[in-house]
Amino acid sequence: MMKKKATVFLTLALAASLALTGCGSKDNETKTEGGKNKVTLTLWHNYSGDDQRAKTMRSIIEQFQSSHPDIKLDVQAIPPDGYRTRLKTVAAANEMPDLFVMWPGVMTKEFQAGNLIQPINELLDSKKEWKDGFLPGSFDGFTVGSDIYSAPIALSPTSILFYNQSILEQNGLQVPKTWDELLHAVDVLKGNKMTPIALGNKAAWLAQSSIFSSLADRVTGTEWFLKAAAQDGAKFTDPEFVKALGYMKQLGDAGAFPAGFNAMDNTQMEQYFAQGKAAMMIDGGWALTNLATSASAEAMAQMGASVLPSMPDGKGDPNTISGVVGTGIAMSNKVTAEEKDAAYELMYAMAGPDAQKRVLESNQLVSYKVDLDTSKVTPIFAKVYELVNTVNRTPVYDGVLGSAAADEVNNGLQELLMGGKPESIAKKIQEAQARAVQTDSK
Amino acid sequence: MNSANRTRAFIAVGLLPALLLFVTFVILPILWSAYYGFYDWKGIGKATYIGFDNYAEVIQDPVFWKSLQNNMLIVAASVFGQVPIALVLALLLMKGSRLHTFIRSAVFMPMVLSSVVVGIIWGYIYHPEIGVLNFVLDSIGLGSWKQQWLSDPDVSMYSIMVPIIWNYIGPYLIMFIAALNNIGSDMDDAAKIDGAEGSRKLFSVTLPLIWDTIKVAVVLCISGSLKAFDLIYVMTGGGPAHSTELLASYMYNNTFSIYRYGYGSAVSTTIIIVSLLLVAGSQYLMKRGDRL
Repeated sequence: MMKKKATVFLTLALAASLALTGCGSKDNETKTEGGKNKVTLTLWHNYSGDDQRAKTMRSIIEQFQSSHPDIKLDVQAIPPDGYRTRLKTVAAANEMPDLFVMWPGVMTKEFQAGNLIQPINELLDSKKEWKDGFLPGSFDGFTVGSDIYSAPIALSPTSILFYNQSILEQNGLQVPKTWDELLHAVDVLKGNKMTPIALGNKAAWLAQSSIFSSLADRVTGTEWFLKAAAQDGAKFTDPEFVKALGYMKQLGDAGAFPAGFNAMDNTQMEQYFAQGKAAMMIDGGWALTNLATSASAEAMAQMGASVLPSMPDGKGDPNTISGVVGTGIAMSNKVTAEEKDAAYELMYAMAGPDAQKRVLESNQLVSYKVDLDTSKVTPIFAKVYELVNTVNRTPVYDGVLGSAAADEVNNGLQELLMGGKPESIAKKIQEAQARAVQTDSK
Repeated sequence: MNSANRTRAFIAVGLLPALLLFVTFVILPILWSAYYGFYDWKGIGKATYIGFDNYAEVIQDPVFWKSLQNNMLIVAASVFGQVPIALVLALLLMKGSRLHTFIRSAVFMPMVLSSVVVGIIWGYIYHPEIGVLNFVLDSIGLGSWKQQWLSDPDVSMYSIMVPIIWNYIGPYLIMFIAALNNIGSDMDDAAKIDGAEGSRKLFSVTLPLIWDTIKVAVVLCISGSLKAFDLIYVMTGGGPAHSTELLASYMYNNTFSIYRYGYGSAVSTTIIIVSLLLVAGSQYLMKRGDRL
């Protein structure tokens, strides 16, 4: 009998300990020390990685902390992959940090609609020179009405035509400037058993973001795309969009991409190009950090960057690159009037002219006019920097479309490159975007 | 009487912790997700009640049917691949000799690996540029058999079946060996006296005696295959263009990539219904087999 009781007791103890370990891991709350005048600010960022940009941003924050003893920073560095999810979770619970890294576009609009953030026009207007230093359109994604909610610390052009000069020369080719030249180059390279354009589309967004966003813009023009995205006077079933899909299919049918490109990822494609296995690659500004680490100095010297070729009878400006402005620091609605000055100071330290310069020298493009010291970056970075500053920017498909429609574009392009029909893919994209616009307006 | 009650009470108390955990982490979430399936909800913000609209959309979406079809292929590959292979191996490897133990461990090995590792390994085997498989085919003169294993929609589902079967034979093998060892030696003697040997003994004595274990294995196989997600997620992500989409990856993509939490919940409820139907169906079929 005793034995039974002991077993019961043990079982219960085990169960209790299981239940308790679940809730025992809560962090101790840190208390703020110091006098009453000391301001405490919480800051969440995703500069937690080992890349040059993240290190630069972290050192900027540390320097700010040591030079401002009257401001106490409570900083949380969150790994990039989980950052958005965590931010959305605290947003749902209305427990936002005072300052945090925020994306332009959809996220800014959502937070603004939820009354979670406050505008920083005051700060921008007080530093006119700084505000004017940003490239045109830098604030568009952070603006709702006349209120600006953040200033970008990065720029991501998504469709740069990278090429390998020596491979093109060996095949008697030049950098293609028109669609026909590109198709001709594909033909010649194919004939010489060289992969024309490196592509790794396993994650499906790459063909959309890097190739199609620019290609379609050249065919349809930006105005048409923005109208179609708003479902206001244009539809994705319109002939110009179907035509753009047709060109994309033509490129696939011509054999421009390596075999099995739908099973390769973005990094593998960048290495493929870096190793000289393909003559060209259409990729975004993010390729630069990868090329800096995986390409040899010789290979890098052969690399050049250009815009995508122009399209026959295109309505869009061919001297453009699709791209998005990167993240910036936003301020929570809960920051009080007394804390505001300190918050502004930190924002300026992280996005001001000095910070922009340091970020740029970390091989990360910025949406700000800075004179680049080319000795501090890789040669291909310097070329891309020059290119980006001389062309205009057009929207990226998944930066404008709702996520369901963007997903349809991604999958549709995969289907298209495997032999799908432009018309039926256009129809699916149209349906998804129409539904998204409809539910948003409810 | 008193003592019987006490035993019952003890059993109840003993079951309670597990039951509580099961209800909290399995039953309640299932009910919650069925409930969310009636809402149009993006994860944050307002959820609007829309009745059966999500469920109606699930049934009308061709991608859902494509995923169901792919999933049925995986179920078939598992039930008719994993279970028979595991059974044959178990019959061959029953004895505890050193070689047998070694092969048993080797077969069980993939089960110990994280499925992400398995996915990456097989991803490299099938890789279009650096893949071992195409390289081997080339070097033994079978270059014409080379395929785009993971990106050609005509072969990709079959390519994926191989690692799935390979990965999960282990546990069934162990179950079958345990069941085979449970057959008492008196049965062997009785069979010998009755003159049953070889295949006659296998079909009349051995298999009927482990039939219950086979039934359990089939049920586990069906429910496991319907949950299949990790390998697909790592190897193809359901692509290209939904050609390797499974029910679970379809649900995941809708919930976490497109932020349609309500719709994703409706999909997961549908998966549960499909699983229950399949498991019940297989039980019914095997019961009839029992009576024969």
